[in-house]
Amino acid sequence: MHAAASEGASQDRDIVELLHAGARERAFETLLGRYEGKVYRLCCALLRDRSEAEDAAQESLVRIWKALARYDGRAALSSWIYAITRNRCLTALQRRRLGSLDVLDGASQTAEAPEAGATPSWDARKQQLRDLVELLPERLRRVLLLYYYEERSVSEVACMLGCAEGTVKTTLFRGRAALSELLRRRGLDDPTYWREDAP
Amino acid sequence: MTDPKPTEFDRCLDQALGRALRAPQVPHSLRAHLSAALSRSAETDLATLRARLDREQREQLETLEVEYVRIRRGTFVTLLGVAFAAGITAVIAMPWLRAHLGAYGPMAIAWGGVALGVGITFYEPLRTVLLRWSDAL
Repeated sequence: MHAAASEGASQDRDIVELLHAGARERAFETLLGRYEGKVYRLCCALLRDRSEAEDAAQESLVRIWKALARYDGRAALSSWIYAITRNRCLTALQRRRLGSLDVLDGASQTAEAPEAGATPSWDARKQQLRDLVELLPERLRRVLLLYYYEERSVSEVACMLGCAEGTVKTTLFRGRAALSELLRRRGLDDPTYWREDAP
Repeated sequence: MTDPKPTEFDRCLDQALGRALRAPQVPHSLRAHLSAALSRSAETDLATLRARLDREQREQLETLEVEYVRIRRGTFVTLLGVAFAAGITAVIAMPWLRAHLGAYGPMAIAWGGVALGVGITFYEPLRTVLLRWSDAL
């Protein structure tokens, strides 16, 4: 079990106790307060489209509500919730592949090198970075996104994606390496360029 | 895998990524849409449950109907068989009975059979009436 899952299991004991007491609605309310954001962020990272992510998060939560009475506590609640959400997102991705859609959430695919002598604004540089992250392969991109969404928690990302922490660390390393390579090719590998107070 | 010692660039990039890749805010509409979806799903659940119960009831009625027809057919066949067997038995046994019991022997046996039939038919109702009567006393 992931560290986040075992941590979550003790954290979610109150929800499990409410379920055992038959208070499904209160259990769901508590669950919603704790996991609504995480479910939405997982959907965002997997689907790359905000409106599709909202639909997926909503459907996942409805499924969780319906299945909550059958939750047997064998898996940590967090792992169970993320598994339902991942399955819903995978279905959406399959549907999208069948429909040959390629949705990118407003990310322009061109991250231009800066003009010589002019440092773009901090917002423009952040946008450049986001655009470059969008260019990374799907597998690396989603780990990188979730890692920063979840405030650099490797165990949480591992739990969300249903993989080992070692896999997340390796993927993060490769993701950063790939991103550094992209920056180097565009001449954006100067550390000072990525400081908010760059001259 | 152990990361090599992070360079100045790595540190700056990590900080920049932390600022650039901010977790998206949960849209306010999500809760409202979720509540609506949950209400709809509850209604759908009830409608589905009703449809399922209706279908099960229809299936049970159909099964009962089929069973009833089968039993009626079985009873009819049995009655025919019994009547046929009784006729054959009578044809075979009648000369022997007349020879051994006299002219009224077969009639006596037939009346005995009728009495037995009547007894079997009225045994249960009579028993019930008698039991009620004894309870009333």
